[in-house]
Amino acid sequence: MSDLDSPHPAETLDGVSTVEVRTSASAALIPTIRAVASDLAARADFDLDAISDLRMAVDEACATLVDVAAPRSALRCTFHVRVDGIEVRVEVEVDEPAATVSTDTFGWRVLQTLADEVDVLAAPTADGGRPTVGIRLDKLAGDPPR
Amino acid sequence: MFDTIPSATGDDAAAQAIVTALTRPQSGTALLTVAGEIDTVTAPHLEVALDTLVGATDGTLVADLTGITFLASSGLAVLIQAAHRADRSGRRLRLVVSGRQVRRPLEITGTDQLFDMYTDRASAGLACDD
Repeated sequence: MSDLDSPHPAETLDGVSTVEVRTSASAALIPTIRAVASDLAARADFDLDAISDLRMAVDEACATLVDVAAPRSALRCTFHVRVDGIEVRVEVEVDEPAATVSTDTFGWRVLQTLADEVDVLAAPTADGGRPTVGIRLDKLAGDPPR
Repeated sequence: MFDTIPSATGDDAAAQAIVTALTRPQSGTALLTVAGEIDTVTAPHLEVALDTLVGATDGTLVADLTGITFLASSGLAVLIQAAHRADRSGRRLRLVVSGRQVRRPLEITGTDQLFDMYTDRASAGLACDD
């Protein structure tokens, strides 16, 4: 996991810490990623409900993307930890340039409920490599009333 | 965009399991006890256990979820199915939920409305614990 060539090394810039986790795009490895999400949220003083929500939202985003990932590809999850919240970007490589995640599912509605912001990211071809699909979500530290 | 990870899957090494037990602690009551993390990998196991609880018994149905340490939307989905199935036989599934790990996902999604919620086995109508 210590890929020193990573474009986003863990560092603090403008009060933002970045943590990147990269795994095989396998559902069996999602527990590790959601554990990192919980840990970061706890250290960032999220309230307990917000920690629970972020853990579940990251799990949901990863599970959705593992479903559409190309075989034997990687999943990258980047956490940008701010003072007031955490932005998470999860990306996988896909075979089909047109591949995307469906947003008319129960899981997507749950994700929208859990996170303060959620979007689908699509990069048809990045750096001449395989196309990627991603999900960006943002969770605020203190859960605002909805 | 990013390098392929050499080991293609970690499925075997990282395989998770949940523990389920179906008992009849007292006459007219079926109790399913579940422990572990419920996500896309383990939700099918929970679905089978809930089907057995709801399908093979009459009387009061109780699912004790206090041993669950994580509940994903895939787990919520199978719980919702079980609630609807119990409803079709004129019953309401009782859930025993004590911790935030299960209560929060149920509440924030409104799923708790489909069940009778209890914080311990005694209040769910079970005479004696374990």
